[in-house]
Amino acid sequence: MTAQRLNSALSWVIYAFLLAPILVVIIASFNAGAFLTFPPQGLSFRWYWTFLHNAVFMRAFATSIEIATLATVISGVVGTMAALFAAQARPAIANGVRIAMLAPMLLPEVLTAIGLLFYFYALGIGLHHGVALLAGHVLLTLPFIYINVSTALKGFDWSWQLAARSLGAGPWTTFFRITLPLIKSGVISGCLFSFIVSFDAFSTSFLLKDIGTATLPLQLFDYLRLNFTPEAAAVSSFTVFATLVVMVVTERAFGLKIARF
Amino acid sequence: MNRRALLILPAALILLLLVAAPYLNIVVISARPTSPDGAYGGGFTTANYVAVLTDAYYWRQIGTTLWLGLLTTAGALLLGFPVAWNLARTPGRSQALRQAIVLSPLLVGIVVRSYGWTIILGNNGILNRLARATGITHSILPLMYNRLGIVVALIHVFLPFMIMPILGGLQNMDPALEQAGRSLGAAPGTVFRRIVLPLAMPGIQSGCVMVFVLSISAYVTPVLLGGMRVKTMPMTVVNTLIDSFRWPLGAAESLILSFLGGLAVMVFLRLTPMRWNR
Repeated sequence: MTAQRLNSALSWVIYAFLLAPILVVIIASFNAGAFLTFPPQGLSFRWYWTFLHNAVFMRAFATSIEIATLATVISGVVGTMAALFAAQARPAIANGVRIAMLAPMLLPEVLTAIGLLFYFYALGIGLHHGVALLAGHVLLTLPFIYINVSTALKGFDWSWQLAARSLGAGPWTTFFRITLPLIKSGVISGCLFSFIVSFDAFSTSFLLKDIGTATLPLQLFDYLRLNFTPEAAAVSSFTVFATLVVMVVTERAFGLKIARF
Repeated sequence: MNRRALLILPAALILLLLVAAPYLNIVVISARPTSPDGAYGGGFTTANYVAVLTDAYYWRQIGTTLWLGLLTTAGALLLGFPVAWNLARTPGRSQALRQAIVLSPLLVGIVVRSYGWTIILGNNGILNRLARATGITHSILPLMYNRLGIVVALIHVFLPFMIMPILGGLQNMDPALEQAGRSLGAAPGTVFRRIVLPLAMPGIQSGCVMVFVLSISAYVTPVLLGGMRVKTMPMTVVNTLIDSFRWPLGAAESLILSFLGGLAVMVFLRLTPMRWNR
């Protein structure tokens, strides 16, 4: 029993360790002073105000949203299709598909990005028009869609589909009226995770960004190398709050079941 | 063609064209000569590999990178196992909350998390101020701009990747097994060593491999926490590629690091076999 208690206490210390840097950033963001000091010199929204009027950060924020949306839509469609295929395939094939679909998550992100950098130059496209960047983000997000949709498809009753088809519904109608509603929670949590992963991605964006484009994490990193004002904390906290809001809204609207592994 | 096969077609194309082909291309480029008027020249050479493998500077960095990866993995295992254990023993709602705490770092960008650690560990950071205010020390505790800071932040960044697979293993374990062991007279330590550990081993292995691979290829955290004073291979690779624009050399550097990292993983998997089951 005492061992159990000791472990419980130790676990809470580790939970605190996990939350510490995030809480610290949030507290620092409400600092009224011009420098990062602890404890903060009074509370204010001053740095949020500064951030929201900083055109550079706002542009980066818009870029991040745009890329995350595009990547999530592409991965959402492609990943869901692959999961549907694997769920109906023979076990050996399904296993192969699973390994291949998870590969982009298991390979080092930096190496994959370097590969895309070389490859798009070899193709003559280079980093123009953000094609390489989008490709990188699709690879980052694809595994998350696949895992979540696959989990939702476990124990899926295929006779529903057969019933719909035998009653005269076409394949598209069957998909949108029968299959999709049944796996909706998996698709939505996959898309949510995928959006967040893309929004927060660093190495991929760092190596594949076109000249003049910057996502929010890149801009923040750039800023942090030279500046120490609480504005960086405000930007960071803003992304944390935005993520929380998106998660809570999605949870309320659809009910979430996130499968990450 | 089978209509069902159309479902896998887009994914197969993406994986072939955007993963397999680029990876092969890295190998090809690593064997190209450097060219003054472009990213790389024609023909093939082993010069890039020779340049990396014969330079003590690189070996020191590879050593640092693998060592930091090892420390991070060990630290994450040490902190991750008790948490996974605690989670597995916590029922229902309360477990959901704790699991949310464990996963929360994943919802926050890596730049933000590393930044949080700089606020805590910096020379004028929270811990240093605390140490001075309480009179523990009057000088600056070197918590950052060194290996310590990097490892602490890396453990934090990758801890969820250790906890989740171990938790998966522990949750699949029937609690009756432990009770059976105890009722047959085994001491708690023996039960842990002979029953719990063997069953948790696959989870521990995949957690360790994931954390190790992620930490030796980490870039942001070592840059922000190490303040460029600790050099790791991913930093050098990025410098070679972006600043000096020497692609073939950068390709060789990254492949050598990946190869040695893969080798370390193989050794690890060989050393931690399932013979715990004996």
